[in-house]
Amino acid sequence: MKKVWEVYPLRVAFASIPAALIVSALAITLLPPSVSFWVSGAVSAFSAFLFVAYAWGRHAGGLLVAPAIALLFCMNIFPLLWSFGLSFFHYRANRLAPPRFAGLHYYEKVLTDPVVWDRLQVTAQLVVLTVSLQMIVGFLLAMLFAKQFPLRRVLLILVLTPMMLSFVAVGAFFRYYYEPTFGLLSQAVRVFTGEPYVLLQSTAGAIAGIVFADAWMWSPFVMLLVLAGLVSVPKYLYEAASIDRISHWRRFWNITFPYVRSLLMLALLFRTIEAFKLFDVVFLLTEGGPGTSTETIAVYVYRVSFQYFKTSESAALAYILLFTVIVLTNLYLYFANQRNRT
Amino acid sequence: MKHVNTLKAVAGGTAAVAVLSAGLMSAAPAYAEDVVLRMAVPDWPPTRIMKDLFDKSYKAKSGNNVTLEPDFIPWPDYYTRLSGSLTSGEKRYSMAVSDSQWLGAFIEGGYYQKLNDAIDADPELQKIMESLNPALVDAYSTYPHKSKNYYGFPQMPDVLVAYYRTDVFCDAGEAAAFKAKYDAALPCTPEEMNNADWDMVQKFGEFFGRKKGENLSGKALDDDFYGIAYQAGKGYDFSTMQIASMIWQHGGDIWDETKAPTGKAEGVVNSPEAVAGFERYLSLLQYMPPVVKTGTMDIFKQDELFREGKVAYMINWIGFAESSIDAKTSKVSDKVDFAMAAGLKESDGSINRTYNIGGQPFVLMTWNDETTNTEALEFVKWWLSAETQVAFAKAGGQSGLKSVYEDASYNDFRPWNHAFGASIGNQKDIWHIPEFFELLVQQQAEFDKAITGQQDAKSALDAIAKFQEELLQETGHIE
Amino acid sequence: MSATDKKSLADRLGLKVHSGVGNAGWGRTVFAAVISFIYFFPVFWIILTAFKTHNDALAIPPKFIFTPTLENFVAVFSRAYSAGAAAQDTGFALYFFNSVFIAGTSVLLALAIGTLAAFGFSRYPLRGNDTYLFIILTTRMLPAIVVIIPIFLMFRVAGLSGTYIGVILLYTAFNLPFTIWMMKSFFDELSPDVEDAARIDGSSDRRVFFKICLPQVKAGLAATAVFGLILTWNEFLFALLLTGVDTRTVPVAMAQTIGGDIGVRWGLLAAIETLFLIPVIVVTFMLQNHLLRGVTFGTIKR
Repeated sequence: MKKVWEVYPLRVAFASIPAALIVSALAITLLPPSVSFWVSGAVSAFSAFLFVAYAWGRHAGGLLVAPAIALLFCMNIFPLLWSFGLSFFHYRANRLAPPRFAGLHYYEKVLTDPVVWDRLQVTAQLVVLTVSLQMIVGFLLAMLFAKQFPLRRVLLILVLTPMMLSFVAVGAFFRYYYEPTFGLLSQAVRVFTGEPYVLLQSTAGAIAGIVFADAWMWSPFVMLLVLAGLVSVPKYLYEAASIDRISHWRRFWNITFPYVRSLLMLALLFRTIEAFKLFDVVFLLTEGGPGTSTETIAVYVYRVSFQYFKTSESAALAYILLFTVIVLTNLYLYFANQRNRT
Repeated sequence: MKHVNTLKAVAGGTAAVAVLSAGLMSAAPAYAEDVVLRMAVPDWPPTRIMKDLFDKSYKAKSGNNVTLEPDFIPWPDYYTRLSGSLTSGEKRYSMAVSDSQWLGAFIEGGYYQKLNDAIDADPELQKIMESLNPALVDAYSTYPHKSKNYYGFPQMPDVLVAYYRTDVFCDAGEAAAFKAKYDAALPCTPEEMNNADWDMVQKFGEFFGRKKGENLSGKALDDDFYGIAYQAGKGYDFSTMQIASMIWQHGGDIWDETKAPTGKAEGVVNSPEAVAGFERYLSLLQYMPPVVKTGTMDIFKQDELFREGKVAYMINWIGFAESSIDAKTSKVSDKVDFAMAAGLKESDGSINRTYNIGGQPFVLMTWNDETTNTEALEFVKWWLSAETQVAFAKAGGQSGLKSVYEDASYNDFRPWNHAFGASIGNQKDIWHIPEFFELLVQQQAEFDKAITGQQDAKSALDAIAKFQEELLQETGHIE
Repeated sequence: MSATDKKSLADRLGLKVHSGVGNAGWGRTVFAAVISFIYFFPVFWIILTAFKTHNDALAIPPKFIFTPTLENFVAVFSRAYSAGAAAQDTGFALYFFNSVFIAGTSVLLALAIGTLAAFGFSRYPLRGNDTYLFIILTTRMLPAIVVIIPIFLMFRVAGLSGTYIGVILLYTAFNLPFTIWMMKSFFDELSPDVEDAARIDGSSDRRVFFKICLPQVKAGLAATAVFGLILTWNEFLFALLLTGVDTRTVPVAMAQTIGGDIGVRWGLLAAIETLFLIPVIVVTFMLQNHLLRGVTFGTIKR
């Protein structure tokens, strides 16, 4: 015998959407915000419940992903859409003037702004340097820890700690390490040269300082991902390989690497996305100096939205960034999948 | 199709837990008849002392049960938090301690409350406004700048003063050598140090710059030593405060918002006098600790270098003074004295000591209900009463009330107070317009390029003038 | 002479190109120890600084040998905020609890929701499966500052600002994309044969998920939990803006040591950081077994 929710049609669930919208609209106009929020929440929850009930037993996949999608929608996608809307209006968060329609004005402004292009170049430079360094160091560290050896667990923890530190501590202490009077780096160099060493005085030095600190902090992330891949390589493959007397390199490329590849790609993807948002380390180490030579796009977005209060412009800027990252990621995923297929 | 039941249950359960806990935890705190003054404050002694004094001695006249609930926020992130809270419209705070330059940005947003009506209606507040130093009222309260619209009351006034090492400046051997080299007396007492002008400071820099192993005050140095330090950092306003001061002293000016809309930026900001002032500023950097070359010698780094005993003479905010005489935090705690910060000697022999004011005012928010607002004003009156201000000054704060800081006993509270009273009248402030941060960020970046040797004073000020002229025309501040 | 006698130096040190999980012996330990200590040194210095007096912290030349003091750790919990004032509670214990509670709950929540979703994406692909996955990923692509104002507004309207649940939900969402992508890549690597066999034997989906799939992705779960924990634990911007007096977390409180009435309070900053490291290190250490043991039975595809 079929249960009720297995027979009622999808139509009911769909019909609940306009109903929910009407109730919400009424609630928002008639009730104070703190009440209408919960009323709208309740009706949307009811609508969602109808869909869930419909999917119960029929669409396991949809059901499994629903909580995640719902949460992401509330906490990320909705705010993103909100700022997307704002990007088409003249609006400043610190002015009383109500938003006025601006069309594509801010997109045009951002795209033709040489400052934006300059900040993007700086960011690209830092991303390429820091991510490649992280990938290399992380991979080498993973190779080091791939095999079982005494005290491995303890030593591994030592290598993992940098990424457990908070940015405030890393920023403050790396500024101290690089500082010419007290800093460890300068003290070490002075033993040989007799002169204080001033790393952050040039653009190249400032970039090196930032890249080193950031890569030091996040290489363990890459290492851990690669390691997770390495340990999943079934032993019997190696046993078979050693019977066949295959060389170490061949063994690595043909057996180990394929298992690590997808996680390595994931590490690359996530680290690139994170590096694109590089903010704290820059802000704490150089404040974007000397001049603006290390000012990343994330620092610039912060300035536009929180210091200049050009809310609309920052929203447009954010969307152009998002678009750029999406295109890059898609290209990346496309090539990654191509290679997987071959 | 029963296989997925538990999976579904897990998924559903998670959602249920989330919803349930949302309900439980978001229950709003209930207020009785009590009044809570929720105040955003930076986390540092002047606000901690305030909370302490409040808890010990505040009793509301109205009989209401008033509590002060300061939200102590770390200084480095204070601006981000306050601006985030205000612009989001969350209306969390009824009062805030605000940097004076933020007035325009947050008044235009409708967050900070105009206080004229309250002041007009209350003779006690009028008396307070009259007894405050006018420089403080201009900087902390007026918007547009120097108008008759009032928005704030001083919480903690701060000025730039000179910190110097008595073991270095009062050493007989050093004084003799200084005399021999420059045919000038090395100042030792605060009175003598008050006469130091930029030429003298340059001599300090040149004279006291010593390498590791050389002698200082008869002892061999175990590390390099530097004559002078002042702020030269890219962050926030950590070079502008000193540079603007020196530009004013040399007869130059920044873009003056009180002359809007006819006042120009081009030709003013990069006038020959302004360039001369900035060049003077840059010329002294060579005598400072090497970190200055990175453009990261902000007020905190300077303070640290001085407390660690690397610098003979420093210009910094009074707010740092307490930690420099505390043996727990300072290696020079027993060898520090204070004087007015150096200035430019005029042709008549007087010293022009125009400086940029520091410190912060209180502001009240526009959304306060009447009871809260009345209690907030009562709190302000209590804070700016002579009694509370004396207690605050004794605990290490500063007062802007003439009756308090002009009293002879004030100078005995803390060793730097004599410099405060003498300096407070010479204070000006940079812009208060809503575009303040755009002006500041661009200016700090151009200054930073000059400080790190990528451009000279003239081209930095030219770039600043050009940017400001364009921006201010665009925003209607310049016709 | 047999091949085993002709071991090269690299062999004996265990430096050969990696060839799978195996034992490398003490040679590798020595080598790894050297590398690890170099890598660990900046952290080591922070921990060392936590035990130094203010005067030792910036000593020139830097001090490796000194009389350790616990004064910084005492000051983490209680100190005087102005000269001459009595020491007062800094609220650190509360901040610490907040950090543990908020990070712990949101990581577990993200792991639960995310693993289910990842399993769904992997085993029951929806129409436009990749699009969903991609949209999930895009939520991590923007600097957090961009979405902060609308989140603020939403929190205010919903009464969530300054509450635990607000921050927890936000952090859960913040952790989800990585969790889903990570777990999906682990589920994708599993061989379907075992699952199919189990289904034919009459196992329910639930049984397949809990008894067959989950045990095989323990390494993934452990790694994901560790990353999620680390990111949440140290998250700063949301914590700064969305927590209230009672729900503030340690990273925000930590920023108090880097500017105010004095330059950086090195000892105090180091002490807070040292204490703050302990829980993550302990959790990571406990999860390491799963992290490193990996999958022991050969059910992986290919």
